This record gives sequence, C-alpha cells and structure tokens, in this order.
Amino acid sequence: MIRELHEKLEKEEVTKEELFEEAKTLAEKYQEEFNSFVTILDEAKSKRRADSILKGIPYALKDNISTSGILTTASSNILKDYVPVYDATVYQKLKKSGAVLLGKTTLDELAMGGTGTTANTGVVRNPWNREHLIGGSSAGSASAVALGIVPFAIGSDTGDSIRKPASFGGVVGFKPTYGRISRYGLFAFASSLDHVGVFARSVEDVAIVTDIIKGEDSKDMTSLEDDGKVYAEEIKKDTTGKKLFYIKEICDIEEYPNKTEKLEKTLKEFQDLLEKCREQGFVVEEVSFDKKLLEAIYPTYMTISCAEATSNNANLTGIQFGPRGNGENIEEMMFQARTEGFSELIKRRFVLGSYILQKENQEKLYLNACRIRRLIVEKMNELLKEYDGMILPASGGGAPKFSESSEQVSDSHYILENHMVIGNFGGFPSITIPYCFDEEKMPVGVNITGRVMEDDVVLNIAYKIETLTGLKGIKAGEENV
Amino acid sequence: MIEKEKLRSYAHKLMFDMKEEEYETLQKEFEVILKQMEKIENIPNIKNIKPMTFPFRLDKKRKLREDEIGDYLTVGEVLENAKHQVNDQVKVPKVVE
Amino acid sequence: MYKAVIGLEVHCELETKSKNFSASPNEFTETPNINVSTVDLGLPGILPIPNKEAVRKALKTAMALHCTNPDEVLFDRKNYFYPDLPKGYQITQVTKPMGRNGYLDIMVNGHKKRVFIHQLHLEEDTASLEHFSNYSLIDYNRSGIPLIEIVTEPCIESADEAVAFLEDLRDVFLFLGVSEAKSNYGQMRCDVNISLMKDTDTELGTKVEMKNINAFTSVRDAIEYEIKRQTELLEKGEKVVQETRRIAEDGKTYAMREKVDAVDYKYFVEPNIPPVPLTKEYYEELRSSIPELKLERYEKYINQYGLSEYDAGVLSSKKDISDYFEEVLSYGSDISLTVNFVTSAILSTIKKLEISIHELFITPKMLSGVIEKVKNKDISLDHGKKILYQAIEKETDPNELISKQNLHQINDKEQLLTLICEVMDENEEQVRQYVEEGNTYVYNFFIGKVMQKSNRQANPNMSLEIIKEELERRKNNG
Repeated sequence: MIRELHEKLEKEEVTKEELFEEAKTLAEKYQEEFNSFVTILDEAKSKRRADSILKGIPYALKDNISTSGILTTASSNILKDYVPVYDATVYQKLKKSGAVLLGKTTLDELAMGGTGTTANTGVVRNPWNREHLIGGSSAGSASAVALGIVPFAIGSDTGDSIRKPASFGGVVGFKPTYGRISRYGLFAFASSLDHVGVFARSVEDVAIVTDIIKGEDSKDMTSLEDDGKVYAEEIKKDTTGKKLFYIKEICDIEEYPNKTEKLEKTLKEFQDLLEKCREQGFVVEEVSFDKKLLEAIYPTYMTISCAEATSNNANLTGIQFGPRGNGENIEEMMFQARTEGFSELIKRRFVLGSYILQKENQEKLYLNACRIRRLIVEKMNELLKEYDGMILPASGGGAPKFSESSEQVSDSHYILENHMVIGNFGGFPSITIPYCFDEEKMPVGVNITGRVMEDDVVLNIAYKIETLTGLKGIKAGEENV
Repeated sequence: MIEKEKLRSYAHKLMFDMKEEEYETLQKEFEVILKQMEKIENIPNIKNIKPMTFPFRLDKKRKLREDEIGDYLTVGEVLENAKHQVNDQVKVPKVVE
Repeated sequence: MYKAVIGLEVHCELETKSKNFSASPNEFTETPNINVSTVDLGLPGILPIPNKEAVRKALKTAMALHCTNPDEVLFDRKNYFYPDLPKGYQITQVTKPMGRNGYLDIMVNGHKKRVFIHQLHLEEDTASLEHFSNYSLIDYNRSGIPLIEIVTEPCIESADEAVAFLEDLRDVFLFLGVSEAKSNYGQMRCDVNISLMKDTDTELGTKVEMKNINAFTSVRDAIEYEIKRQTELLEKGEKVVQETRRIAEDGKTYAMREKVDAVDYKYFVEPNIPPVPLTKEYYEELRSSIPELKLERYEKYINQYGLSEYDAGVLSSKKDISDYFEEVLSYGSDISLTVNFVTSAILSTIKKLEISIHELFITPKMLSGVIEKVKNKDISLDHGKKILYQAIEKETDPNELISKQNLHQINDKEQLLTLICEVMDENEEQVRQYVEEGNTYVYNFFIGKVMQKSNRQANPNMSLEIIKEELERRKNNG
C-alpha cells in the first residue's frame, strides 16, 4: 500500500532504487507468463526534488498514454515503433510528484476491446488463473497491480476498460468524473466517453493517486477545474445514511432465463454485501430501470464508440509517424500501412463506425444512439437526485476462460456485463472493488457509480464498503503463479 | 444482409482492405448490431429527443483559449517519427492531384 | 443565350497570434515546419482548444456580412483522408456555423448589387504540399491556421460580379482587421461553382467546380473560359459533365482526376470541444466594435458630405485613409479643404515615401490646425501645403512652424528699409499725401502693406520708425 511504502522510504528503510529493482524483477519474472507489459524500463528516472506521497513509488502506465522518449504503441502494429515527442498531462503530473515509471502496460489494440486478448504482443493472462482472461482494455495495468508488481497503475476507460479488468483482477479500479483527469496525451478511442483512471489495491491508494493527477489542464478543454478536495481525506467521512440503489432488472435472478450457477452465486453474494451495507447504516433500495433502455446500452455504446473511433484513428496513416507502407503513390502507401497495421477486429470496428456515420445512416444509427444516451443519462440523473450512488455487480461472475470469450459483436449478452458503460455515457464517477470469488475462485468486483463532480462521495462510499468485503488489499498469490 | 462488396468499398474508403472471411464475420456483426439498433428506433418518441454528444454540459465554465503563443515543437521533433525527410519536410510518395 | 449562375466559396486565413486549435504561431514563413505543435501534426493523444480571437474575428465578419449568429460556439469534424490533413479530419462547422443567411452589397461597374451569403464558418487550414516529379513534401506550418469559409448563394452572374465581390469582400476583411487577405500568400483563396442555364429554364444546369484559385484575375479567367466552354458545348447539343476542373496558367480550365463516388464526409460534432455559450452582452460588444464598411462610407461621403464620386471613392477605398479623413473632420475641419488636403498633399506624400498613413508624421489633429488657419485666411492654401511638406521634412508640427514663422520677425534694418522702399515706390499717392500734406494717417497704411508683403514677419515697431524716417527723408529730399 502506498502509505506504508511512503513511510518506509521516508524512514530510509528502503530506497526508491530498491523499490524499482524489486518491481522490475517481478515484472520480468511474470512477463512471459502474463504479458502485462509492452515496455519495462531499465532504470528508475524520477525527480529528486519532489516531495509528494508518491515520491519514489514505482507505477505503470497503459501503453496508450504518451510518454516522451518512451515507446508508446497502443498495442497496435500501426504504432509499433512510435516514440512520442511529448508527455501526456497525467504522466507529467506523476513525474512531478516523484513517482517512478516502471513500464508501459499491454492493452487491447488501441483500447478497443474488453478481453485483453487483442494486443499485437499477445494475450494478457489473469494472475488468479492463467487459463482465464483478465479483461480489457486496460489489461496489463490490471494484471500488474493484481500481481503486486506495482502498487498502482494508470489505465483508460471508455466502456468499462478500467472497471471490468479491475473486477476480473481482484483490484480496485476507479474512473473519476469525465474531465477530472486530463485526457491530453491519452490516445483517443471515443473522445466523448474516454476517461483516464487508476488501478490500485485499495480505495485509499486510488484516492491518493487521483489527488495527484486530477485538475484542470489548459490542454484539455473538457478538463474540470479543481474541486479543491483531498480525496484521501474525504474517503474517511462517515457514510451513515448514504443512499444507494441497485437495479432490479439486473440483479433479480428471475430476469435471466438461462441462469447459471456462477451468476446465481454472484447475485447472492451481492445481496449479502448489500445486507452488510445496510447494517453499516447505508440505505440500500431496489429500483426499476426501463429494460428497453438497459438492453440498448450495448448497441448504443458500440454505435457511438465505433463512430468516434473511426475518426479518431484516421491519423494513423504512416505519414508523419508509425511504420510506412509501400506504394507507388501516397494513397497506396497509406492503404498498405493501414491494411497491415490494424488487426481484423479493429478494421471491423472502423467499418462499422464509418457505416454508422454515413449520411444516409446517421439519423437512424448515430443520432439515435446519441438520443438513447441522453435517455439513459437523464434517467440516471433522476435516480441520483434521490440516491448518492448506484451499486451493482461489475459482472456476472469472475473472468471467463479464454475459450469462452469472443470479441465478436454478439446478440447474447447480459445487461449485467455492460451496465458500467452508463458511467461513460454520463461521465459519472465510478469505481469497482473486489467483493467475492466465484465458484472457480476467480474474483468478482462490485461497482459504485455516483453523481457527476462528486468523486469524493463515490470514493467515500467505496472506502466504507471495502471494509465489509474482507477482500481489501488482496493480491494474486504465489500459488496461482 | 449488407453486401460484401458494399463493406469492401467502406473499408477501401477507410484506406484498408480485409480478407474474404473477415468480411463475412463483419457481415454477421452488422446484422446483429443493425437488428439491435432497430429496436432503438422503436422506442416511443425517440425522434423528439435531442442527441447527446457530451456527457454533461458546463456551459459557463467552458473557456476558449486566449490567443497567445504557447508550446510547440522543434523541427527535429516534428520530423522525429517521419520515416523519410528532405529539406526539413516530410517526404512521401507522389501525391496524385 | 445562356445565363451563368455562379456561387463562390471563399477561404480566408484569419490574422491571429496563434493557430485555431493550438498555441503554435500563426505566421507566414518560408522556413518549413517551424510553427508546428503536437496538435497541428495530429499526433496521437492531442486535443484541440479553440482560439478566442479566431472565434471573435469569425463572428465579427459574419456579423458585418449581416448574418445571423449562433447561440454557442460548436465545431464539427469533417472526415476524409488526404496527406495534407494530418488528423484525418478537419475541424469545421456544420451544425452551428458562425453565420448564416447574410449578404454583402457590392459595386459592379457603378451599380450596386446584393450578393447573398449562405453561410460563414470557422475551420482550420491544412498542411501544404509541394510536388516533385516522383515524390511530394509536406510542410505543416500552415496546418491549423484559422480559416473562415464564406459560401455565397448561387446569385452571381458574371466574372465582373465575381471579381467585384471578391475585391469588396477583401475590403471587408481589411476594414474589420480580421485578415490581411493576401492572395499571393494564399491567405485568400476561392472555389468557383458555375453552371449555365437559359433564361426560360427553371432548374440550374450541371455544375462545374473549380477549386483553390488564388489570384482574382485567375477567377476572372476561369469564369470567362468556363462560360465560353460550356456555351459551346450546349450549343452543340452536348452535355456539361459534373466535374472538378482546375485553371491552368494558360487561362484555360482542365478536368481533374475524379473519384467515382462522391465523398461522404461523415460529419459529426467534435467531441473534444464542449459548447461555449455566446451571450447577448458578448454580441452587443462585438457589434459595437464593427466599423462602417467601405460602401457605407462611400455613400456617406457622397450623400452627406457632398463629395464627388471620385473623391468619395479615393477616400473610402482604404480603411486607414478613410479613418484619417474622418478624424480630421471630427475636429470640425472644413470638408472641402480637408478633401483637398488629404487627396493631394497627404496621399501624394505617403505614396512618395511608401509609407502607410499611420506612419505619416502629420496627425489628423495637426492637419486640422493647418486647415483652420487656411479657412481663417491666416495663411493661403498654397502656403498651408508648403508648410505641410516642410513639417514632414523637419518632423515638426506644422502649426508650430506657422507660429514660429510669425515669431521669426524681420528685425534687420536694411532688410526692412528695402521692403519699405518697395512699398512706397508702389504707392506714390500715399507718399505724396505725407510729403505735400503732412498726412500722418498714411503710417498705418504703409504698416499694413509691409506686413502683407513680409507675410506678417516684419517687426511692426521697427517698421513704423523706418517708415517715419523714410517719409521724412523723401519730404526733405523733395
């Protein structure tokens, strides 16, 4: 945990070099098995004069965050040799705090996936069981924290790309309010949904890191002016009387015609947790949410995110950066660079996104999706007038096995697997913390989503609930490795 | 089902090509997503709702940039990642006008 | 007979310190890639932030062109692949352009015509490409420079009208101070859409587009050539092909390579630029900052000030000259004298010195002083102009020169005597009145004459003494 490491560093029981070496050794040891990293740095580079709590603490950055002089590939062949000339704001802030970058973590190619299986450097495996995936797209950041390589890591979240792998990896994953952390330097996937966020093994650590990296940025117009709050302090407030809701249509086992034991256990454990919450003074109530809207979450997300992604990635042509294609003329060159640079999945998403934006389809597809987005966000805001937060299982169980998963757009999806996108639609602060293990001994997370701007409240609630799970600070044990 | 040729032309406009079987997967994906989007169309009064393109609005807090010169790159940084250069410019194969 | 139906799309780079969506310099330079930021280069992870001043200038131009303005600043993306577009999309405006449904009144061969503006929007310029035999080079300096695009309705009917519109539109930019609009730097460029129709036709003919024409003379050539070419085709019973053509140096137009299907730009709202409301107060302040434009001034000079068309044209053609002229008038100066001074002495001087009127030493205030003295007949018109030239040469306030010359009295006795003798020789009758009749009233007469002859520089007291002595001398000498 960050606070203990900080104290050890202060008392000179350990040096930042030793911490770095330790982390590096672990990273290298686990690399072949789990593939958390794209790049592991050779030496600790950090500011000497920093005096923050993160000074000397090693961490990892998702490889879609721009780091000057350090390879940044977004786990795609189209950027496999790209060394940025500028720093993302989040990296700059961490540098300034004295935190020590250990390496860049693997992601689903261009952050467009939820399985951690589509990186150009291979799949990322789940530290709790290597037959299982870790989820994505911030797969490497989740696994690096779950493995205890680093106490915290930075990820990005467009659908649930931090909170889902956090759930599958048994760690805490937090995506604050849209704009709380600057996106400058985060390779865009879907700009209106993209967030930078944090992985750690406790809510307090997530709060500590968010305190350092939040704030207004003159290079990101959507960034928020600082709220002047110290989250690491706010989390300790009394939560008695805080009101939470959960959605009946998601949590009632009777809603699932093809219910599995895994799902039943997850939902049962969830109800047990809610009971504990009530015992601790939370008010927890069930509400109903239009099922049509819930079912529309996934196609709405696909529509909006693919549309924005096809445009956001149009800069990847091999002209001003990235591998060059061959060709007699420039069109052939761009064509070849993109044909070879993107994997199949990415291309399918781009074609989908492009189709959605075509003049003749805009109204029916793109704009309708934007309308549904509003309906969902407005419904959520209405509920959040009465409640301080929404609480739901982050998924229907632990991480699936590789053999059980696919990145193909499919018709058979649980609402339960996609509801966290609501947090992106409305920019709501949203956190996942581990709360139980499924019958395969894979961890499962619970998600809490709150009002826009009230990151402190969400963290405060999560900090309290964390004490009720008995799973605070869990780490994928040696026996799993 | 959307014709494969149509999908191919979309792909080409996006400056890439795909393998035959990949187009077939895409065809199936299209069917799924279009079917799901059709359901959305049936939501009552959907047409009367204003499309949402930003997670929330903060109108008065949003600021335009003051017209001042700030950070920018050196020529070296501009060209750093370009594979071919001539006379401090990025060299590319002939652009056919 | 066929009638031409022409619509113009005019692009003009705005004059700002920094670019439209980034903080790199907006400045014309021959040195490649020195004004480029991460944003202009379209690097992964960049975010655009609109330039307040560019927004203001675009809105101001739209307002001056009588457009309706939007309630908030909002941008859209236009998606297409081209090597001069590093992001793969251009940030532009479709949903809420800076202006809609405006007009500009122009003068064409002495007649007033109203050209309707469909839309004015703010966008960003592309990088520039230089083509060689088997490769091309990209310079990103231009990438991201603020650009406004003004789209007219298809209401222009001739090359004369098109060129007059472009010239007058450029004057609007100059009068507003939003751009230098130098077409030789490519700061002002134009696309021309042209089709022909018979007077009896109800539908427009097939449209031909000509892109990126810099010089106004080329616009004229292109339109005239196209009218001729399309007329010939139609008269032969052939069809005009819908296509994009380019104007070559020989003044002819040639078809460009065309893609089979039309490009779909897949516009959508730019998600990185949240809307910024534009308030009533903002617009009121903006409106008050818009100066009178050329045509308004021209008409005012003729109708209110009674100037000739020629003088009104000269004095309204450039904003700085017109402002100068109006400032002189604001001190209450006589209109016709002011016109006379400005159109002659002032304009010839700045032309000779190759300076702008701002750089001229003579301020409107100084000039108004001189004009007042001419008006009061303290000095003659010619003398006033001479004084002006001296003032410019010596870099001294002409009014100071005038009073100094007054103070610079002639105190030399010999000089005064010569002058007085001349005056007496010219006025023998008054001399006789003194000599024969002892009439001392002639003293004042001679003083007046001496003062007049000496440009009021003779020392009056000394002159009086000398006049008395000389008259005595003439009396005694018989």
